[in-house]
Amino acid sequence: MLLAASSIQVGSEQLDVSWFLLLGAALFVLGAIGVLIRRNPLVMLICIELMLNAVNLTLVAFSRQLNNREGQLFALMTMTVAAAEAVVGLAILVDIFRVRDLEDVDDLSELKG
Amino acid sequence: MQALALAILLFPAAGGIFLGVFNWRGSRLLTAMVGPGVIWAAFVCVLILLGNNVDQDFTYWTWIRAGSFEVPFDILIDHLSLFMCLVITGVGGLIVTYAVGYMEHETDGSYARFFCYMDVFVLAMLILVLAGNTVFLIVGWAGVGLSSYLLIGFYYWRRSAVIAARKAFVMNVIGDIGMILGAFVLFVSYHQVVYLKLFPALPHTPDATTELAAFLLLVGGIAKSAQLPLHTWLPDAMEGPTPVSALIHAATMVTAGVYLVARFHPLYDATIYAHAAVAIIGAVTALFAASIALVQTDIKRVLAYSTMSQIGYMFLAVGIGAYSAGLFHLLSHAFFKALLFMAAGNVIHALHDDQDMRHYGGLWHDMRRSSVTFLAGSLSLAGIIPFVGFFSKENVLGEAFSRGDGLGYAVWFIGFVTAVLTGFYTGRMWWFAFWRPASEERPVAGHLHEAPLVMLVPVAVLAVLTTVGGFLQIKAIGGWALVDDFLKPVLGEERIRTNGLEYLATVLTLVLAALAFAAAYNFWIRGTWSPAGWRARYGWGARVLERKYYFDELYDWAFVRPLDRLAGFTDREDRSLIDTGAVDVGAYTERGAGALSLTQTGFLRSYVLVFVAGVVIAAVLVLWRASS
Repeated sequence: MLLAASSIQVGSEQLDVSWFLLLGAALFVLGAIGVLIRRNPLVMLICIELMLNAVNLTLVAFSRQLNNREGQLFALMTMTVAAAEAVVGLAILVDIFRVRDLEDVDDLSELKG
Repeated sequence: MQALALAILLFPAAGGIFLGVFNWRGSRLLTAMVGPGVIWAAFVCVLILLGNNVDQDFTYWTWIRAGSFEVPFDILIDHLSLFMCLVITGVGGLIVTYAVGYMEHETDGSYARFFCYMDVFVLAMLILVLAGNTVFLIVGWAGVGLSSYLLIGFYYWRRSAVIAARKAFVMNVIGDIGMILGAFVLFVSYHQVVYLKLFPALPHTPDATTELAAFLLLVGGIAKSAQLPLHTWLPDAMEGPTPVSALIHAATMVTAGVYLVARFHPLYDATIYAHAAVAIIGAVTALFAASIALVQTDIKRVLAYSTMSQIGYMFLAVGIGAYSAGLFHLLSHAFFKALLFMAAGNVIHALHDDQDMRHYGGLWHDMRRSSVTFLAGSLSLAGIIPFVGFFSKENVLGEAFSRGDGLGYAVWFIGFVTAVLTGFYTGRMWWFAFWRPASEERPVAGHLHEAPLVMLVPVAVLAVLTTVGGFLQIKAIGGWALVDDFLKPVLGEERIRTNGLEYLATVLTLVLAALAFAAAYNFWIRGTWSPAGWRARYGWGARVLERKYYFDELYDWAFVRPLDRLAGFTDREDRSLIDTGAVDVGAYTERGAGALSLTQTGFLRSYVLVFVAGVVIAAVLVLWRASS
């Protein structure tokens, strides 16, 4: 694959694309680990947001590198979905908090067969 | 006239529907009026048709149309069908009237049910004889089988009655299959179902097709008429109420086979083997049944076997081409056998449903009126002059004797031996059950109640007919033949020329039959010849006769038991193979589902872990493939 440019201009400096990608990967892994090990539902939601935004960063970085607007549009789309997801997730949480004090998502396993 | 012909069928149909649907548990009086009334109404219709000399095939509408196959709904009124209708509605009407008294102890529901079945039976029988095409004939044929099943199993709470009904039905269905196949062969070969178009299309020389069709129709005939080897249902059918026995075994159902051969006489005239088979089956059955009747102790069973024997005579007659002689014997048999059954019914009724002749005796003294009528019937059955049975039986035997070929002499000789045996077993029945002093085992020791008027009048009417009916056809020198003349338009000219020699045979038969009847007196009353001594000497013979030549045992061994075993085998295999297999599939599914449900922990993080692991693996695979 032929890249249009291997670096991106940030202000007056040229920065290599790989830095952005590494940052995105690091953020994604942090988010994934957060979802896996934390039990607080609120923190898990935040971690999911983190993963989504890591992906956004990657999309925008590639968009700039390839000089193609589609990546940025897709990032906007992801934000919309993330907002909707946050609304639904928070609504469920608020509803559960009304019934009982919840600190651990593992307590939400009544529907297990 | 067209409407009147249909009315013959509509009256019994309306009676059956009214009693079965609307008067169920309704008024007993209404049932007793409607049940016999509709049959008498049909009888009047037949008389009017007869008076107007109607001879026509009435087509009402097209019943079935499928391509070139077209079946009209038609009723054939000719002298043969009118003759049969007279027997069915006339004798049938007397029997159903008699049943008004005989069935008086039944509950209201059973009372209406009985007359409903009787009317339906008469309807089916009338369809059988009035049908103008083979398809409609099959409808009547099967309807008779069904309603006889219902009537034999009338006392459905008695196990033996249900078994007897089932046996009759299965035997009749075997006949129905032969019947249907026969009609099919005729249609395929000659493309006709309507009699009046079919018969002219038949060839006059024997060929394989007509032989096959005639044999198949004969299978239907012997099943319905209880001839060898499909006869085993008839003695068991005595489980039904006595009027049923009179109606089914005297006037109507069992004579259907004789009617069938007479109706299809152009077909049988064109065959050699099938026609001879009719005569041989009839002759052998006549002798076979008469020998069994010698040892039976149940009075109705004796009558049942005598019926088989007399139907054998009719088959013999139509088998040698003496159709009108066969039908004359059918008429005379309807008179005297219905009389015998109903007079015996009076006795059975008075003795609280005991049918064992060993418990009888003293009836001549206690039930004089029934005894006199029974004697008339017995003498007629034995073929004693001047009763109707003498004239009709001698007519049959005379025709057989005059035929002048091997078949004729063979069946005449069998018929002659049978006539002597008939004299003996009839005498035994008469002397043993009616004449001798009352048995100590008689259920009613003292005075017996003679039957009510409604039961005596039909019996008396039949007794008169039995006594004078023979004068319809006296063929001796200077005599007349009303039955032959009446049936001539349908059956054609006499096929057998008599030469006068047969009167010697007639006298011989009469003398020997009368001697046998009298000998039974010595045997059973005076004890000149001791029955016990004979039994000691010929015990094996008596055993064979008592077991009815082991026919039931043979069929049990050859058909019933193997089928039972097959059914048991498939039942076991069904349980062990198919049933267990189905259960196993269910069990494995359940167990597999149980194992899989362990993965549903309900812990959100474990789901995410699996999800992430899957993504990682997928990513690794994609990268690995991209790099290689």
